[in-house]
Order: sequence, then structure tokens, then C-alpha cells
Amino acid sequence: MTFLNPLLLLAGLGVALPILAHLLNRYRVQHTPWAAMQFLNRSVRVRSRQLRLRDLLLLLLRCSAVLLLALALSRPATNDSDGSWLPGERRAGVVIALDASFSMQHSDGQSTRFERALEQIDVISARIHTGDPVTLVLLGGEHRVVIRNMAYESEKFHDILQKQRVSAESLDLDSVPKRLHELAEDMIAHQKEIYIVSDIQSHDWQPRSERLRETLQELDGAASVFLVPVSGSEDNLAVTDLSLVSGTLRKGTVARYRATVRNYGTNPVSDVEVQCRVDGVQIDSKRISLVHPGASETVSLFVPFHNAGATRITAEVTGDSLPTDNVRRVVAVVRDRVSVLCVDGSSGDAGRLIISALLARNEGAEDKDYIVRSVPWLAFPGEDLEYVDVVVMANVPEITPVQAQQLSRFVRKGNGLVWFAGDQVKIAEWNKRSESANEADGAVATPLLPAVIEQVVDNSDAIGAGKPLDPNMPDHLLCRPLQSLPADLLSETRFVKHLKVQPAATSVTVLNVAGSESPILIEHSLGRGHVVMFTTSADATWNNMALTPVFPMLMQQVVTYLVGREFEQPRVVGDSLSLSYTEQPNASDAVFDTPSKNTIDVPVREYRSQYVAMLENAQEAGFYVARVSVQAPGVPIAVNVDTRESDVACLPETELRTVFDDTGITIVTTETELLSAIEAERTGQSSWRFFMLLGLTFLIAESLFADRLLSKQLSRSQSTESTEVRQDV
Amino acid sequence: MSEHLPQTNYLDPEVLQRLGGLELVAREIVEGLRVGTHRSPLRGFSTEFAHHRQYVPGDAIRTIDWRVYGRTDRYYTKLYEAETNFDCYILIDASSSMNYASGKVSKLEYAKYLAASLAYLVLRQRDSVGLSIFDSEVRAYLPPRSSMGIIMEIDRLLRDVKPTPRTSIAKQLHDIALMIKRRSLVVLISDLFSDVDDILAGLDHLRFNGHDVVVLHTLDTHELEFPFKGAWCFEGLEEEEPLTTQAERIREEYLTNFNEYMEALRAGCVSSQIDYTTVNTALPLDDVLSEFVVKRQAMLNGGRG
Repeated sequence: MTFLNPLLLLAGLGVALPILAHLLNRYRVQHTPWAAMQFLNRSVRVRSRQLRLRDLLLLLLRCSAVLLLALALSRPATNDSDGSWLPGERRAGVVIALDASFSMQHSDGQSTRFERALEQIDVISARIHTGDPVTLVLLGGEHRVVIRNMAYESEKFHDILQKQRVSAESLDLDSVPKRLHELAEDMIAHQKEIYIVSDIQSHDWQPRSERLRETLQELDGAASVFLVPVSGSEDNLAVTDLSLVSGTLRKGTVARYRATVRNYGTNPVSDVEVQCRVDGVQIDSKRISLVHPGASETVSLFVPFHNAGATRITAEVTGDSLPTDNVRRVVAVVRDRVSVLCVDGSSGDAGRLIISALLARNEGAEDKDYIVRSVPWLAFPGEDLEYVDVVVMANVPEITPVQAQQLSRFVRKGNGLVWFAGDQVKIAEWNKRSESANEADGAVATPLLPAVIEQVVDNSDAIGAGKPLDPNMPDHLLCRPLQSLPADLLSETRFVKHLKVQPAATSVTVLNVAGSESPILIEHSLGRGHVVMFTTSADATWNNMALTPVFPMLMQQVVTYLVGREFEQPRVVGDSLSLSYTEQPNASDAVFDTPSKNTIDVPVREYRSQYVAMLENAQEAGFYVARVSVQAPGVPIAVNVDTRESDVACLPETELRTVFDDTGITIVTTETELLSAIEAERTGQSSWRFFMLLGLTFLIAESLFADRLLSKQLSRSQSTESTEVRQDV
Repeated sequence: MSEHLPQTNYLDPEVLQRLGGLELVAREIVEGLRVGTHRSPLRGFSTEFAHHRQYVPGDAIRTIDWRVYGRTDRYYTKLYEAETNFDCYILIDASSSMNYASGKVSKLEYAKYLAASLAYLVLRQRDSVGLSIFDSEVRAYLPPRSSMGIIMEIDRLLRDVKPTPRTSIAKQLHDIALMIKRRSLVVLISDLFSDVDDILAGLDHLRFNGHDVVVLHTLDTHELEFPFKGAWCFEGLEEEEPLTTQAERIREEYLTNFNEYMEALRAGCVSSQIDYTTVNTALPLDDVLSEFVVKRQAMLNGGRG
């Protein structure tokens, strides 16, 4: 027998009270001489032996009542295995973990996995007794406890359950056992059960099967664990990517976006239409004839920008079993105009090459909205950067501290800086200026450049050819145009010299020299802007980049990247969304509108000489709108689902059973199995009601007995007396 | 007090002091004085002057003390011993039932003190007092005398009294009635635990013989209140069969029966012109005595028109 409240067994010590009372007031009859005997009612006569027997019986009843009540309060429970004959109820505290990740929205045509999960929970809840503690937790990226240790009440529970919805999050399976363990520990019940109702996706469970086996087995020590898989078909298409490939985000231009569609299912899918919408209006559509199972196909979507401002762009497929991952979103901030200022430290070649690469048009063509100018480096102090979006420093020997701070402020405001190496560059001076660029503002010293320059490295071989680019590129916006280049074309770009640099902690290496880890292109964010650093020259002295298509593609992409805003980068559900300010805003809170039209106020906090409002854990997929205040116009931020969850293939039942064989964890797939499993596992019986009733019965019996016995004696004696009187007469 | 108080067991000087100048008066004397007959039933008895009393209409003119009038301009009547002297018999029930005590003092002990104090009171007012102690029969008898020396004998007798079981009080009363020749004041100190009718018959016998009867019904406070709780075994003092019972269960009935009995006794005494007083042995003796004497005087004077 086990006890839920073992300390309350100490109440059994109360049995000492009736015993003490019995001993203290033990039925020793008190004696007294008495003169007025004639006035005493001799019919109320009690014999000592009778008194002793009665008293002992009453003592027994009282002691039994106290012991039984103490036992009841301690909430005893027995197991069937004990062979207990005690009556009781099979009660248990229940923790229900319902997978609410977006894969549960997958439909087989009749119902979604989530709906089938709710049906299973109905079966589970039908076996919960009113008053037993129940906890309901929705599993996802963050596991949300909906009900915690609530005394079960069927109607109330079902009301709450029906209001639950699938989230856009993916499942963080690693943290599930620990969370469930905490919830089980927090529950007070002599027997506990944990039901994990999930689609048991292979991509989640298979790689973690050993660890899950161990952790869930540990969990089984705290409670009986039931795995209730709600599987479904594996067919699913998802748009896994939508990204800018090329083009400048300027009004009047057309940008090329790449949409990637992946088939997570086991059957090929043909004739997939990918629709592109801009601010909700469909502007392009492409068809993919066939997407093989497990394969991805990309389509190019051309997006014209007729207006300036933040633009919501989506790529979507339709008619799929899981709609949540059928759409991918990005935001593009289309500018009215872009202005690039090239500061040329060379004899003028660098500037010309940069202008050519950026404009990439026949000489004479003009675009009033896209201005690219080059000035000698000595003329830089006289330039007004107010209307410049990107500054390109090409082979500039040095800058003054004031100029360094000016550039730092320029970038932190949200603009871009491109830096090219060259023969004129004074390494020590640049390092010094880079380090001290932010000091005057009292900010934490994020250097201006993304790396510390060390020395010039000569890559030329015997024939004087340099090294090519490393074809292995990260998935960075800057690299994307190059990824579509043929390998031989890419390898034509050769680097004879470059600067060996030590990247800063905040930097991202974009391109490397082949065969080494020396970056050719490295970038970092500084405030709201970015600094892109080429460790090679813009002119042809250190490389032949300008003679290949790489340079213009790269330069245009660089400018596009630099004129973009942070919120243009799409986020994934679960990420934090931030809004940063260079100056202290008037309002103390920023406002985030969610895709479901809710409003969330977020306080603005100072962080590294900036002011940031951060919304943690974006829970919905869609376009959020961030405002500096309620009245201010908002900027959209795209939030997409994590497509790892799109692989909806479920771990087969046989494999699941194999993984959890001999762990004590029960796997149930049907309603019948579930009911049998509950019946089999719920061996404990709570007998407290039985003991409580018995204890109260003994108490009532004791008081009735005490009263009735003497009344009986009285009436018996009175009838004897009246019989004697009649006889006398 | 002017007299020297003899050394006795049962006379408490403080009690006596508190009693002050109280007098125990016989009913007939008062009645005689009231109607002005003033005739002593005992002719030829001593006519020794006793004391003065204020003249009341009806008194014989010859009894007016003219010298006192000359001095005070007020009329006073001379009283003689023959007019005021009476015999007082104190009857003490020394049966076993009188031996009950809930506290330190038993009823019998209390009765002894009561009797001694009464005897002293009577002797102080120059009346005669005698004593009779009885249980199943008269154990001791002292004829009435008026000298203070009798107090020592009374004290001795009281000291030697040992309670013994009694059969019937009525019989003793009848016997005593036969013994007392002269009309007297008879004071009965007893718990009267016997048949009411028998007791009243005995008392009536005494009244019939012309005696002034006073009943001091002496009871213990527990007998009056019955405060017992729990299981008690009551062991009869008069050799009755013991009774083990639940005290709370019988209390109400006991009190009903007891009060009925007392009421019957009281009613019987009143109808026979017997002065009946309940004496609670828990109360101070002087309070009991003074209250009794004052009440008696008031009762006796109350008939004056």
C-alpha cells in the first residue's frame, strides 16, 4: 500500500486520545456513602462488569474511527499486484501532451492529425475521474501549459480542449521529456499517467530514438507513459525558400526571386503551380511539371516594383495536404532611388570599374534613380553623405579619425559601406581607424571593418596565375547570383593577391579563396547597416574579377544587400523580431501587429548605443508589422514556418515499438488498445473513500451505541419495575 | 458576653458572639403575651422577677412597674420567671444517615454544634434545656435544667455520640413524646430520612401533647443538590443495598423525589404549627441560627394584630 500524504498518517497518533481518556476516566466506579438512598432510582443500575465491557467496546470503536480517518486522510492506494481485497477507485493524475506543431495540421482528406489526436484525448479523458488532477500541455517550439493540475470536470475540460489550435511552430522534441517530467512531479496523485499524443515524425524521433528511449524510460519512473501516435500519409509539398536572386530593389525595376518547392512525400507530384503575389496581388505564376519525392525544384519569379516602400512578396502552392508550409514570404523595401558614392584611392581605375559593374549598361544611358559617382579619395571630406546609400572605399590609403566616425555613423543609420583593398592601403592606419571609429560615441567598440588586416598574401603560382574562388559558398544573399554561374566561369576569376585578415567575432565570411580559409569577401552588420569588405582590389592589380561576370553580379548584389533593411530578412516562427532605433524614440513602447491582427506592446531598451524593441518568439507565420509607436506607419516583417517540420513522414509503428521495447512505455494506436492499456496500467486503487466511510460509520456507531445502550437499560429496568408494582398490587 | 464560656467541644465563641442577644422564644409564651393572658400554665411556680417589657394593651395593670414609669414616663410591665421560663428539649438524631459528609463536617457534627449553641442560647436566657440523643432507640437523655453546668454534660454526651443504624424515627418521637411530661419547646435536629407520614405522626404526637415543636431539617448540600456525575456507587449508610448507577441519569428524578418529600414535610409541619427550617450544613452555623431565631421571632410576632 502506498500513501499520497504519508505525513498525515501521524494523525493516527490521535488514537492516543481516546485511549488516554479511557485510562484517565477509566470506568472505576466512584464510591460514596449516601444517606438519601430512598430517593435514588434503583432501576438505573449498571453493573461494573457491564460498564467495563461497554467502555471497552466504545474505546474500540473510537480508536478504530480515529485510525480509519487518519488512514483515509493519508490517501492510501494499493496495487492489483498486492492482491488487495480493499475496495477502491482506479484513479490517476493525468498529463496530456498534445503535439500542436504545424505538421499536425496535415490532413488525409477526412480529418487532420490534430482532429484525430483530439479524438484520442476524448477516449483518455473518459477514463479520468471527476476531481482527479489533469494537466494539458501543447507541444511545439515552446510547450504551452493550457491546464495545470486542474480538478477534472468533463464539460470544462472539453470546452478548453476544443479551443486549442495547431500552431505554426515546429516541435522541439529534445525538451519534451524534461518538461513532462516537471509537470508530472508537480502533480499530486498516487498514480500518474502521461499521454504523448503526436504524429511521431521520423525526422524528429528517428535520429533521437536512443536518447528518447532513455529519457522517456526515466520519465516512466515518475508516471506511466503512453505514446499515442496519430499518423497520416507522408505526402506534402512545401515552399521552402523564396529569396532575392538578383536585381536592385528600386522603383521601376524588376527583381528576380527564386522559389523552391520540395516534395516531402513518397509520391511524385506533377503540375505544381507556384503563384507569386505582391501585396496580395498575383503578379507571376510558374509551373513545375514534376517534383520527385524527396526532391526540390526551383522556379524564378520576376517581381516588378512599381512603387517604392515595403512590399510583401509571397510564393505559394495550393491544393496540398498541409497548407501551413505552402507559402513563403519575404519583404522587399523598394527604394525611390539608390545613390552610390565611390571613393577612389587608386588612379581612377577602381572607380571606373565599379561604376561599370554597378550600372552595367551601355555608356550614355542614364537612370536618374540610380546614381553612381566616383570621387578621388582626397575629395571625400567634401562630400555630403546625406543622400548617399552606399559608399565604396576602393584602395583608399587612409582616413582621418573624423572620417572614420562619420562613416561609422553613416553605416549605423542603415546605409552600406564597401571596402576594397589595394596597393595604397595603409594597413596599420586602417586598423587603427577601424578600431576607434565608435569610441567617441561611447559605444561598445564594434570595429568599422569586419576584420583586422594583417598582411598581403601572394597567391600567384609559377605561371603567375592566382587562386580561384572556393566554389563552396554559403547560402548568403551575396553569393546567390554566383551560385547560378557555371563552375568553369566561376573559376575564371583569379586572385593573385589578397589581404590576410583576422575576421571579427561579428563577421560573416561570404567568399573564400579556393584551397584556403582566407576570405575574399567578408561582411558584418554595424548598427542598422552593413559593411562589406573585399580583401582584394577592385581594379585588376590584384585579380581579374572585373574582367569576369563575377564582378558586376557581385557588385549589384552587394548594393542590393546594403540598401536592404534588417526587417527585409525573413524570420522563422520562434525567432525574435526586433526594431532598432539610432536615437531614443519618443514612445517607450514599440508596437507589433501579428498576422492574426493582435497587437503586442514591446518596451524599447537601450543596447550598445542603440535602442531596440524586441518581440521574442514570434509564434505565428505571416507578416508582422512593427511600429515605433501606435500612430507611426509600420514596417512589415515576414515570418515563415520552419520547413524541417514539413517532413511529415511518421515513424512506422513497428519501428516505434522496437525503439521502446522493454522500456515500460506503452504504445497505443487504436481506441481499443488505448482503453485496454489504461485498464492494464491503472492498477492502483485509491481507497481513501472506503476508509473515510468506514471511519465515519464507526463514529456514528459509537455515538448511537453509547446512547442506545443506556436507553435500553433504562427502558428495560423501567418495565421490570412496573411489572413489580403490578405484582405488588 | 458577660458569662464565662466553659471549655467545650461544641461551643464556638465566635458563633455565640455573632448570635448576640438573640433569644429563643417559645410559641406559647409569645401567644400568651400577645393576648395578654399572661398566665403561666404552671401555677405555683416561682415568681422571681425576670425583666421588664414595654406595656401593651391587655397587660394586667398590677404588673406595671410604677417606679420605672416615674423615672421614664413610660409604662413597663414586669415579667417573672414563671411567665417566661420554658423547658427546651433538644432532640438529636444520631442515626447512621446523619454521619454523611460531603465536606469536612458531617450532618451529625453540625447537629452537635447546632445543639450546643441552641442549648447555650436557652441557658443564657435562663430557660431550661435538656437533651435527647436517639437512633434506633433513645441513647442518651438529659432532663432539662437551667444551670449553665448542664452545658458540660451536654457537651460530653454530644462528644460520645456514635452514629448507628436506625429503623424508624417516628418510633423515637413517640417515645420521646411519652417521656416529656411538661409542655416544652422541642427542637428536633435530624435529616428525617424516613417515611414522611411516620415522621409527621410522630411530630403530631408531640404537638398533641402541647409541645412547641421546631424541626431543624439538617441536610448536606450534596443531598440538596445532587451534583454527582459519572458512575457512582452509592452505599447506603443505613445498611441499604448499594446502588451503582449513572449519576446524571438519575439526578432529575432524585431532585424531584427529594423536593416532593421536603415539600410534604414542610406542608405537614406548617399544618401542625410546627416550625420547620431546612439547615444546609454548608452554611455557617451562626448564619443559620440567627436566621432561624429571627425568622421564628418574626413569625411568632407576625400574628400580633
